[in-house]
Order: sequence, then C-alpha cells, then structure tokens
Amino acid sequence: MNIVDIQNLTFSFSKKAAPVIKDFTFTMDKGEIVGVLGSSGSGKSTLLRLIAGLEMPTSGNITIASTTVVNEKLFIQPENRGVGMVFQDYALFPHMSVKDNILFGLSRLSKKERQLRLIEMLDLVQLKDFGNRYPHELSGGQQQRVALARALAPKPNLLLMDEPFSNLDSELKECIREDLRRILKTADMTCIMVSHDKKDVESICDRSIIFGKKAVSLNNIQTKVLQTC
Amino acid sequence: MAAKRMKRYLQKELNGWVIISIIGAAVILLPMLFIFFSIFQEPNENWFHIREYLLENYVKNTIILVVSTSLATVFLGVSLAWLVAAYDFPLKRFFRWGLILPLAIPPYIAAYTYRTMLSYTGVVQSTFRNQFDYQIDAELLSFSNLRGAIFIFSFFLFPYVYIIARPFLENQSTAFIENARLLGRKPLAIFFKVILPLSRPAIVGGAMLVMYEVLSDYGVTSYFGIHTITTAIFQTWFGMYDVDSALRLAAWLMIVVVGVIMIERLLRRRRRYNLNTKSRPLVPIKLKGIFALAATFYCSVIFLLGFLIPFVQLISWARLTFSKVWNETFFTLMYQSVYVAIIATAIVLIISVIVANVCRSQSTFSYVLSKLITSGYSIPGAIIAIGVLALFINLDKYLAPMYAYLGLGSSKLVLSLSVVMLIFGYAIRFMATGYNAVEVGFEKMGPKFSEASRILGLGKTKTFFKIEFPLLKGALFSGFILTFVEITKELPLALLLRPFNFDTLATKTFQYAKDERIHEASVSSLIIIGISVLSVIVFQMIDKRVKQ
Repeated sequence: MNIVDIQNLTFSFSKKAAPVIKDFTFTMDKGEIVGVLGSSGSGKSTLLRLIAGLEMPTSGNITIASTTVVNEKLFIQPENRGVGMVFQDYALFPHMSVKDNILFGLSRLSKKERQLRLIEMLDLVQLKDFGNRYPHELSGGQQQRVALARALAPKPNLLLMDEPFSNLDSELKECIREDLRRILKTADMTCIMVSHDKKDVESICDRSIIFGKKAVSLNNIQTKVLQTC
Repeated sequence: MAAKRMKRYLQKELNGWVIISIIGAAVILLPMLFIFFSIFQEPNENWFHIREYLLENYVKNTIILVVSTSLATVFLGVSLAWLVAAYDFPLKRFFRWGLILPLAIPPYIAAYTYRTMLSYTGVVQSTFRNQFDYQIDAELLSFSNLRGAIFIFSFFLFPYVYIIARPFLENQSTAFIENARLLGRKPLAIFFKVILPLSRPAIVGGAMLVMYEVLSDYGVTSYFGIHTITTAIFQTWFGMYDVDSALRLAAWLMIVVVGVIMIERLLRRRRRYNLNTKSRPLVPIKLKGIFALAATFYCSVIFLLGFLIPFVQLISWARLTFSKVWNETFFTLMYQSVYVAIIATAIVLIISVIVANVCRSQSTFSYVLSKLITSGYSIPGAIIAIGVLALFINLDKYLAPMYAYLGLGSSKLVLSLSVVMLIFGYAIRFMATGYNAVEVGFEKMGPKFSEASRILGLGKTKTFFKIEFPLLKGALFSGFILTFVEITKELPLALLLRPFNFDTLATKTFQYAKDERIHEASVSSLIIIGISVLSVIVFQMIDKRVKQ
C-alpha cells in the first residue's frame, strides 16, 4: 500500500525564480526507508518541508496515508498531517527536559497512555536514565536519539529526517547508523531521510533518489536519479 | 484557478494572528490617515494668518535646529565612538558605557537645569560674582535661544550616533583601518579619510534618530521660547483652539518626516552593499602621555557637560525641596505615571508579539505590516497626538447614541476626555520600541522550534504559549523596560492627550519648570533620570550578551 503519493510536485521560492523542484512524482510503501541524496541547493530539504507543510508547492499533489494534504485547492496545516520530523540540528526545546520533549506531541493521549508511550520511546532509543536531563546536558548522539524519540512518539504515518547525522563526528555516525535502522525497522516506520553522505543512505535506506545532475553509484540499493535545477 | 489558489493560500496563511495584526495596523494607521486627509479640507481663516505671518519663521527655526544639531551630534558621536573603539586610554572602560548616560536626561530637563545654572542667580554667575568678584557678561551666558537649544540637543542626543557608530567601528571596520595603518596613514588622516566615509550608514542612522527627536521636541523649544512647527501645533491648539489648523500643520510636518524617512531608507539600502559582513574586533592602540591625557580629557568634558554637571545640580536642588515635594500628591503622580506606562507598554508588547510572529515569514505582506505597525516612532508626538484627538472626537460623535442610551448625555465627550486617549497615543508612538525588541527575540530563536512544535501537532497559538513565549522572555523583558522608559520620559504627547487634572512625572516636571519652580522640578526629574538609567543598563546587558 502506498503511504506517500506525490504527483507532479513543483516548487519555486518566488514567482521569478526557477523552480527548485519540478514535476516530481514519487510513491512509497509502508515501512520503506528512502534516502534522498544530492548536493546543497538541489532541493532535498525543500522536499521534506513541502511534505511536512512548512512550504506550499506551486503545483502538484501530496497524499499521505490516503489523505490528500495539499493540491491545487487544499492545504492542510503541518499539525494535522500526521508527519514526524527530525531536524538537522534536532530543534529540541531547550527549556524542556528530555521527558517533556518526548511528551510534547502526545497531548491528545490520556495521562496514563502518555506515560506508557514515554517509557516505550525512552526504551527504544536506549535513554531510560536520561528523562530528566535537559538537551544541553546530552551529547550530540544522545540529542539525536531524543529528537528521534520525540518524532516517533505520536506514531506518525511518515517520518522525515533532514541530514540527521550532519552534527555528529564520523565515529559516532557509524555506530548510530546501525542503531537508527534498527529503531526505524522495530517501529515499522516509513521514513524519508535527506543526506549529502551516500554512506548514510547505503547503510540505512532500502532505496534512494538522487537530486541534482550527477548520478552517484550506491552499493546494493535501488537508485533513481532525478534531474533538478 | 486563481480563486482556488487564493483559497489554498488563505488556508495556509490566514489565522487569528494575521487578522489581529491587520486590525492592529489599521487602528495605528487611522490617526495618521486623519491627519493626511485634513490637507484636502477647506482651510479656515486662522490658517491663512499662520501661513502669511508665522509659518516662514517656524520652518526656518526648525531647519536651523535640525541641521545644526545633526551636524554637532554626528561630530560628537563619531569622534567619541572612534576614540573608544580604536584606542586604549585611562577610564576608557567607564566611558564606553558612561557616554550613553546623557540619553538618560530628557532634553527638557537638561534645558531648564542649564538655563537656571547659567542665570544671574545660578551657580555659575554667583560663583564668579561671590568668589572671584567677577561679573560675567549676561549676554555671553544667555541660554534661551537657538544657540542654547542646539547645545542641549547636541550634548544630550549625541549618544544616538555614538550607540550606532561604536559597535560598527569596533566590529565592522577592522580590515579597512588595519590596512590604512599598514599603508602608513596617521590617526587623523585615518579618521577623516577612512572612518568618516565608512561610518556613513551608521552616521545617517544615528542622525536620523536625532532629527526625529528634534522635530518631535516641545519641551526645550517651548521653554526657550523658540517657535518651531511642533510648538506651533501646540499654540494653534491651545492658543487659538483651532484643531483644524493644528491638523493641517501636523499634516505638513508629517509629509516632511515621511520624506526624510524615505531618504533614510534609500541611504540604508546602500549600506548593505557597503558593509563587510565578516566581522573581526578591532584591536585598540594604547595611547601614551599627552595623547592619553587628551583622550581622557575630551571624553570627561563631554561626560561632565552631558551628564554629571546637570545631574549633580539636580541632586543639590532636590535636597532643598525633597521634604516639600515628597508627599501624597507626589505619590499619586508617580502612581499615575507608572500605571499609564505599564498599561501602554503591555498593549505595545501584546500587539508586537502578535505582529512580529506573523511577520516571521519573509513576504511583502509581512514587510509592509511591520513597517506600518512601527511607523509611529518616526512621527513626532505632537502629530500623533493631533491625529489621536481628531479620531477620538469623531469616535465620540459616533458613539453619542450609545452614551445617551447609557444615560451619559447625548453630546458627551467620553473617550476623548479619558486616559484611554493618552494610552492609545503612547501605544502608537512607542510600538516600534517594543516591536524591535520582540522581533530580535524571534530572529534569535529562529523558525526551527516553532516548526518542530507544529509538526508535533500543536497549532500556532498553542505553539506560542508552550514554546515561543518561554524562549522570548528575555526579549520581552528588554522590550518592556525600553518601552516603559520611553513612555515615562515622553512629554509632548502627554501634554496634549492627558485628561484634565491628570499629570505624569514628565508633565509635572515641565509644568514646574515653566512656572519657574525649578527646585521643585528636580525631584521628579531625578526619578525620570533614574528610570531612564534602567534602559542604559538594559542596553549594556544586550551589548554584553552580543559580545559573548
């Protein structure tokens, strides 16, 4: 079943500017992890922002879990799209503890359900003893796992990850890549991950799309090159 | 197709925040539109009299004041900023912030303090007469004239230029200055050939603030008996009871101010291309011997004249009258000042937060909205006051049937005789002070936290209260202090819009000074200065944080 269906998506930052994304069509099945590779300015992050509802496309349709979230006459706000996102610098709320950050998106659940989900998430990202810490008291890798737990907690239909490894050193990256794939597969999460590092995509994703003019050779995964501007 | 797209655009962008922002901007714009449209009305007889016999003198005095003060403040502000930024000399660390203190003394307080000090019975003449048996030529020290006003404005407004020029010189000009030094140019040549031309955008920005202050002034000019366009607005209103002609004068002054703003915008646009974006702090050169002494002496003289002398004089007068003035009436006065200032500041901050949040998206709509909401700052208080008065009188006319229904009488002026009018005027005039602080707060925060919250399922309003508000607290605090201080100091607007028998610290101080009860005026003056020093401290705190 297609969990994401994007048809003829076009976006430009202004009327005069050339489109960053042009006539982009793409589908994804449930539980799939897709990597988006490309050079800077090729429109990778913009694609995630369009899916999340942080930008409005010039034209095209996006459907998530059989619900159209944007087309020519409709725009659903980000909070109603059922999408989770891990930002490049994680965007953990600095005035809230790890626990409160994870609980943030669970306001619709009862108190008991919230607590259960919190424990489940802390377990999943292996940060059980860190619930009362503040983001600035955590290492880069721990911060990333909190961001992931926060995004996964509301059980989104789709998880978007924008350069999730860009703030980590290379040793830590190796370790976390395996961890991340395990977490995503355990949660049966459909995920689009943007990266500029092909190793990230090779080790985590099931298939990939490449934004930009140059094709990149990737080991063992199915790749589609998308010619963008 | 276009209609569908518009519907989709509105689905994304239209919400309660946008609607409140548009209403806020419209309400702020209303008094100014009232003034502008008065130009198209048939002028009355008074107007012909004003135009024939008085206007030329008003305009001439206004131009002399604005041009002379701008030149003097630019000279003082840039030279001091250059000394503090580029050199190390004794007491430099103190002068770095001490030279902002003159801004804490409102020019009207400085005006009456200096005029009294230099009068026949003042401390200067009596010291010479009694201690040295020397009679100074009274003409030499005569202060109630254009010369005196230019002195006051220059020495108490130059920090506007200093505040903008100093960080610019400290952080932005390093490469150019170091190059000029390596190329063997002497300090004076560097100042005139490199610093002054480079500082042009900072100079223009600071000088514009000074210009707005001078154009807006009523206290100094009216105390010295100098006729300017602003004093003329007061005279036409209070002397001739002619609101229409006052509106017409205000309209012309507003056209001049808007013209000046447009020139400034054009000049500022050029600044973007002039500045080096990679900043590196300038390493100051240690001055030795006579040069170090000269630098300390120059800064000391300006600091003494611009702050310490009038401040000490006020303290000595306050000691004479404190017990007489410090009574229940005075407490009522303080209470009234504080409560109108707090209400107006709260309104300013609430509207600022709403509009600044809407304006975080980079669009033409948000640019226009932010400019409209902050337009009151560059419009002189007297103009805003006239616009607000005209608006409220009309509002009262429209609301007359409701007043009658409530049993208040059918022709009663309710709103235009209430403190609501004053608070409304303050909010328009000082919206920019609060807005700028809040805007900086939002800029620092960036969009990522809000976006994360929206994606996690919270709407715009909940996101504000749970995420943005806690992170904005610092900016709101600075915005509160700066706006509160500006409102407490404000004079022309308060004089024109206060209800009958309602005084603020500023209006009472001015009233005492006008009645030649200078000693009595000193206590309230010192309180105003004390409150203003708060804004200097906040400014310092922000500066420190930026440096860190």
